[in-house]
Amino acid sequence: MEYKDYYSLLGVEKSATQDEIKRAYRKLARKYHPDLNKEEDAEAKFKDVSEANEVLSDPEKRAAYDQLGQAPEHGADFQPPPNWDAGFEFSGGPTHEQPNAHAFSDFFESLYGQRYQQQRAEQARARFHAKGEDHHTKVVIDLEDSFHGATRSIVLKMPELSLDGHLVVKERKLEVTIPKGVRDGQNIRLKGQGAPGLGDGAAGDLYIEIALKPHPLFRVEGVDLHLELPVKPWEAALGGKVKVPTLGGIVELKVPAASQQGRKLRLKGRGLPAQTPGDVYVTLQIALPPADTEKSKELYETMAKELDFDPRENLMRAAQKMNQARAST
Amino acid sequence: MTAEILSDEPVLTLDELCRACGLTELTVKTYVEEGVIEVRGVDATHWRFSQVSVVRIQKAWRLERDLHLNAPGVALALELMSRIEELERRLQSRANDV
Repeated sequence: MEYKDYYSLLGVEKSATQDEIKRAYRKLARKYHPDLNKEEDAEAKFKDVSEANEVLSDPEKRAAYDQLGQAPEHGADFQPPPNWDAGFEFSGGPTHEQPNAHAFSDFFESLYGQRYQQQRAEQARARFHAKGEDHHTKVVIDLEDSFHGATRSIVLKMPELSLDGHLVVKERKLEVTIPKGVRDGQNIRLKGQGAPGLGDGAAGDLYIEIALKPHPLFRVEGVDLHLELPVKPWEAALGGKVKVPTLGGIVELKVPAASQQGRKLRLKGRGLPAQTPGDVYVTLQIALPPADTEKSKELYETMAKELDFDPRENLMRAAQKMNQARAST
Repeated sequence: MTAEILSDEPVLTLDELCRACGLTELTVKTYVEEGVIEVRGVDATHWRFSQVSVVRIQKAWRLERDLHLNAPGVALALELMSRIEELERRLQSRANDV
């Protein structure tokens, strides 16, 4: 069993006052709370600091913990000495309102678990019916998964209460069909897949928050997809049909003649599935062929000579007006 | 096993929402007052909530419980979080464009 150094988990000295411990815990709890911190290890860290606080914030538990002594030599297994807690009275239950919301470490359970188990067993035996707790988890999917629908297996680690009041962590694997058209940040629900209820209470639900992985081609806005499409200058000028990738496959898009750089075109209904399916917005990006051969240089020079084209015409006119206005004041 | 997408439609009564969240009416009413969740209807007996509110209110409650916040603090935290998420989304789409 791994020894837990609760003082270093909270980043406080062994001589810290109860107030210092409280401050350190609150600060770390805000930092690592899984609802606030999106880092993957945030939940584990939050559990660690909660567990450290559970022990150190309670003067009785803290005194007993201090008696244990130091961590064993590196790598050695930790076993509490027999009767390590002799002479300490633990009063009251866990300070959390829902003790089974957190599964504490083996280390914690071996030190303080028995007392909890007695209480839990009493709770479990009591004729008490309540809906099981809901569970929350997050799943990251590809945009393609939202478009086509997908099946994901999810492994859930859930603290469960056995009949004799022991807290055990069970792994459950679920095959979840992710509904088509699910969007970033949306929640989906699996009925009855949360924690089992107490007594005759119904099981809680499992809520899954969906996060979409950023896509290399498409930017997602609600059910609409945005794509930047490079086009040739003559396709933009003369119009024509170009091929465009969509999630449902390649489609043809008609580029109207005299299209300018940045023109937005819409492929109706090619976005994410929904009651009214989303659209794909295509933004034209006019790409210039490089003048790197004799032929291409010649073509550019011909255009320069023969086309009456001044892209800065409006700009210059505006600049002139501004100068005139300034001169007249 | 097929999951259902939580809808934005206001369908749940106050009682149903309380049962779905496992919270008391008083707690839920406080969150409504602070604007943590959106509600339709003139008074508590006619209130209707969306399924999305269930998730939002549970998040609010976890923050209140774990970080010792009060309801206005929770409301502020949630607002700042969605602001951060929005900004991160914009940063992300900029990064994609470059």
